[in-house]
Amino acid sequence: MVEELLIRNGVVYDPINGVNGEKKDICIRDGKVVEEVRNPKVIDAEGRVVMPGGVDIHAHIAGGKVNAGRLFRPEDGRKGREAKTKVCRAQSGYSVPNTFATGYRYAKMGYTFVMEAAMPPLAARHTHEEIVDIPILDNAALPLIDNNWMTMEYVKSGDTDLLAAYIAWMVKATKGYGVKVVNPGGTEAWAWAKNCDLNDAVPYFDVTPAEIVKGLAEATEKFEMPHSIHVHGNMLGHPGNYEVTTSTYDLVKGIKPYRDRPTMHATHTQFHSYGGTTWADFESKAGAIADYVNKNEHVSIDLGSVILGDTTTMTADGPMEYSLYQITGRKWTNHDVELETGSGITPFLYSGKVSVHTIQWAIGQELALLIKDPWKLALTTDHPNAGPFIGYPIIISMLMSKRRRDESAEDMHSAIYKRAELPSIDREYDLNEIAIITRGMAAKTLGLHEHGKGHLGVGADGDVAIYDLSPEEREAGKIQKAFLNTKYTIKGGEVVVKDGEVVAAPAGKTYFVTPECDEKLTEEMMTHLKDKFEHYYSVTFNNYPVQDAYVPNPYEIKAPWRS
Amino acid sequence: MVEITDVVCSLCGCVCDDIVVEVEDNNVTKVKKGACSVGKSKLMGHGRIESPAIRENGSLKDCSYDDAIKKAAEILAAARRPLLYGWSSTVCEADKVGVELAEEIGAVIDNTASVCHGPSVLAIQDVGLPSCTLGEVKNRADLVIYWGANPAAAHANHMKRYSYISKGYWTAEGKKNKKLIVVDVRRTATAKMADVFLQIEQGKDYLVFSALRAMLYGYEDVVPEVVGGVSKKDLLETVRMMKEAKFGIIFFGMGVTHTGARHNNIVNAIQTTRAAHTHTKFNIMPMRGHYNVAGINQVCTWETGYPFAVDLSRGYAWYNPGEHSATDLLIRRECDVALFIASDPGAHFPGESIRHLAKIPVIQIDPFPNPTTEFADVVIPAAISGIEAEGNVYRMDNIPIRLRKLVDTEYMADEEILERILGEVRAIKEKEGE
Amino acid sequence: MQTIRLKLKEEITSGIAKIPVEVDSLTPDKLFGKNEAEIKAVKVWWGNKEENTGDLFDVSVEGEAASADEVKIVMEGDLSRVKHIGDGMKAGEIEALGDVDMHCGAMMQGGRVTVKGNADCWAGREMRGGELIIEGDAGDNLCAMYRGEMTGMTGGKVTVGGDAGECVGQYMAGGEILIKGNAGILTGLNMKGGKITIEGDAIMPGADMTGGEITVKGKVRDMMPSFKFVETATIEGEEYKKYLGDLAMMEKRAKGVLYVK
Repeated sequence: MVEELLIRNGVVYDPINGVNGEKKDICIRDGKVVEEVRNPKVIDAEGRVVMPGGVDIHAHIAGGKVNAGRLFRPEDGRKGREAKTKVCRAQSGYSVPNTFATGYRYAKMGYTFVMEAAMPPLAARHTHEEIVDIPILDNAALPLIDNNWMTMEYVKSGDTDLLAAYIAWMVKATKGYGVKVVNPGGTEAWAWAKNCDLNDAVPYFDVTPAEIVKGLAEATEKFEMPHSIHVHGNMLGHPGNYEVTTSTYDLVKGIKPYRDRPTMHATHTQFHSYGGTTWADFESKAGAIADYVNKNEHVSIDLGSVILGDTTTMTADGPMEYSLYQITGRKWTNHDVELETGSGITPFLYSGKVSVHTIQWAIGQELALLIKDPWKLALTTDHPNAGPFIGYPIIISMLMSKRRRDESAEDMHSAIYKRAELPSIDREYDLNEIAIITRGMAAKTLGLHEHGKGHLGVGADGDVAIYDLSPEEREAGKIQKAFLNTKYTIKGGEVVVKDGEVVAAPAGKTYFVTPECDEKLTEEMMTHLKDKFEHYYSVTFNNYPVQDAYVPNPYEIKAPWRS
Repeated sequence: MVEITDVVCSLCGCVCDDIVVEVEDNNVTKVKKGACSVGKSKLMGHGRIESPAIRENGSLKDCSYDDAIKKAAEILAAARRPLLYGWSSTVCEADKVGVELAEEIGAVIDNTASVCHGPSVLAIQDVGLPSCTLGEVKNRADLVIYWGANPAAAHANHMKRYSYISKGYWTAEGKKNKKLIVVDVRRTATAKMADVFLQIEQGKDYLVFSALRAMLYGYEDVVPEVVGGVSKKDLLETVRMMKEAKFGIIFFGMGVTHTGARHNNIVNAIQTTRAAHTHTKFNIMPMRGHYNVAGINQVCTWETGYPFAVDLSRGYAWYNPGEHSATDLLIRRECDVALFIASDPGAHFPGESIRHLAKIPVIQIDPFPNPTTEFADVVIPAAISGIEAEGNVYRMDNIPIRLRKLVDTEYMADEEILERILGEVRAIKEKEGE
Repeated sequence: MQTIRLKLKEEITSGIAKIPVEVDSLTPDKLFGKNEAEIKAVKVWWGNKEENTGDLFDVSVEGEAASADEVKIVMEGDLSRVKHIGDGMKAGEIEALGDVDMHCGAMMQGGRVTVKGNADCWAGREMRGGELIIEGDAGDNLCAMYRGEMTGMTGGKVTVGGDAGECVGQYMAGGEILIKGNAGILTGLNMKGGKITIEGDAIMPGADMTGGEITVKGKVRDMMPSFKFVETATIEGEEYKKYLGDLAMMEKRAKGVLYVK
């Protein structure tokens, strides 16, 4: 049966196709955007804002550390309880919602794709098992490939081709999407309770984080990978780290990307834009980071913008979480993963009464407002690290309203006026720019626009968000409310949210990349890899790769070797 | 004859995955390598529940799968406070259907963690868990502490594969450059191998942990000469070894989770680990029992928000071990129906709870007959996960591994049985709704 | 004054299974302003089904109330499977004539609950204000935090006529608890404020304390090995040893005060 849908008279923001607030009909047939329809169901979007389904470039929604976060925070679980309905499973949690709530709440905000930002390869099955239980959202996951012994050994020996072969095997074995980097070298050092700065030697491996980043970028670009390396650099969350950040950006400057995209996506940049030498003289260096991004084309960023309140921080950056736990004295979980990576988790409260938190809060927004070209940045909170994703509408309303920012600043610690730039910035985002940083940019940076995500051109997926919002609305509170609960969210041509309620919860697709590597190269790499399994891993080589059963709704993207 | 390699053991939390077996005429005929003796005997198979059955006039009468499933669904759909318990000796795919069934009928869903490492979970919820995968221990650990755990008896491959005896990158000479400390109330087989054995008074673990913490933070002067039966001298020596280690790990077992301060012992063990971490790398890990008890905790957490003892009676999850854990519910006679899957409360629960079970309808899903079968009203035989059915499980360090299917079977897998019960329950409810 | 009598019907707890009734919807502030018929229609959870109060309880109402402060609820019958009595209550009075089940007075903010018998675990959990009197024994986790939380009772007053179970006042931050009998293991665990007095004996009191005050008038079994003796002090004419702790939390945080004989 042909399913047709017509969204009539909406005010459409589809920046990838250059559509900026035009009154326009959207036609969908069998889940895809088409030129015209004959006998459609009709949704009247007269006077309402219409955008492609949102695309989140970086959030922690599934896998070992997310679940460790849920498990050790029953007090967070009790915050988001909603009883099951005919359509929805029972919900729990605020900063670490259960899988079902994760899908419903994103869908209610008009999002239809989320990238799980950190998948430990050895536990990749876990990430995929949870993803299957996240309704509605299309998804993908980025395997961690930077603290891996194989990676560091090839970086040391300078065998970029073998490193590429290893990347190819890993991305395939984990059904992953690209190459994630988290505190390169530092997480391996953390296995001995140590950490690494950008140019420190990693204990026992005799390589530096800088060399790892450069090596991985070079090796990744050997393939036609849809996404560049995705980097959480060294010294995250440390006062004065902004120079490490720009030095990290510099590492990939000369490397030629396979297509028109950056060679590095630098994630949750707020946490990497710090000045000062201690927490006492801590200050914003968002200006310096924005300046770099404005002058260069090889780096894209996402914000990691802070939402005030309680949250659960989690990252593969084990030493960072330990530092945070030492500040708060709250519970702390750590899980180092043999030969590959690690992770740490600790709850954290961002308070507008604390100077440091106030400055952090400002930095995320400053980045968005000081970087001139919105195509260079995506809206994230590094969910749940700087705050839960359901805070996105708050950030949107802040970026769109100078008045709201000023009013908020008045209630916060006065440090915001002395050691941050935000109060002096007048810029306000328009809806087109919001559409760019919440869907267009992420889709392009991930290469997903070529696979139907993040836009509404003919052939695109029928993923549409209709907000109960007039394009003329300037009142921040109304903007925030509209972006929290859509009038309609349509996923693959099916209405999944209506008037802020989930009305259908179909399964999402999992996007994964298959890098195609020369067989001889793979064979040589395999002798080294099998040795690792023989002697050092605690599971066997044959039991390691993620079996097809874990990805019941696959969408494969091939990444050939670049000639 | 076919040889199958990389077979994954579905016995204990070690989940050994390098086993080699021979299969002939659809039977595992030989376990060639990798398994401990208990694992071997599970793989070789033993007595089965032959047929689905329903109890009539006091005795079980064989019936079809259809009839047993229908009967089970009728019982569950009519219940006001049903309990669904077990889940740790089956695969995650089945556990997921179990949570959905619990939601559908407003049940309490609990798993065997509530009678084994539930206290550890409570402790983690208080202070977190600095831990790692078992391969980290194998490659790096130079100090291994077993506290209230006796792997030589309960996890026979643990020391060999992962800890004291194993060889890894920085531990190429095996136990030669490692130290072993054992803390227990009696001199166990594991204690006999130890460099240091601390014999502790029953129920005094909490005091000993606090003393170690105070010492690790530098306040040894306040600690009395003897704590919990252990001399201050021995405690100081233990602290010295902890500080000097490059990578230490505490493995703890049920000897410490169920005595004295119970889950607060584990809180204190974890805090001791954190204190040691101010000096060097230190980790801690529970010695999980059943092969997938970690898995049901994972599934239950991502689906409901909580790992065990979850009450879904109001349509959303409410969590309170001690209130919604199976033994408490049964001793308090709260449940009116119970379903047991892949577990044997008949053998492991206190007498008072068994007396209540004898009075209420009980459904059992299991490959093997056990004392629970004696009072079950509906018995549904299942395929053996890891031999006759595949699926995902989580090792004690939360590493997911896929169980392999080795032979074919006529028995239905747990997942399918549960899905069919869920389908029948929904059909009944739909009819009632009309 | 208005008195609302709620008598649990016998058939509710006389079956093979004793399924708890959860009455967090039946507090003076929530029932204030309702007539008998309206009270009977208030929903309470019994197992996995919501029932009318009138179907589970015999309900009678006497007198008038000008505010919730003037509403008194008297609960009768077999209350041993009635949970959440006075849970979240803000004003007025509840009198429970017999042993009550878990979470009595949990999250209470004001008013008074009197239990003329024993209270099961979690009585006064996360209590913020008001008064809770348990004439018999209290179960475990009296006035403690909920699982995973870092704050238990923050205000109000609790008196237990008999003994209390383990972990009395865990993560307590304020308010007062008086136990006239003995307390179980780990009284005042993680305590950071407020005051606990045990007239009888205690086991391992004060572990991981960072603030607040515990006084044990009877014997202490298994004194924590990580407390520092400070001085001898006289309280109500009797001599006590004053300790500071818990040093297992490190010295700068060890601000808890423990008086033992």
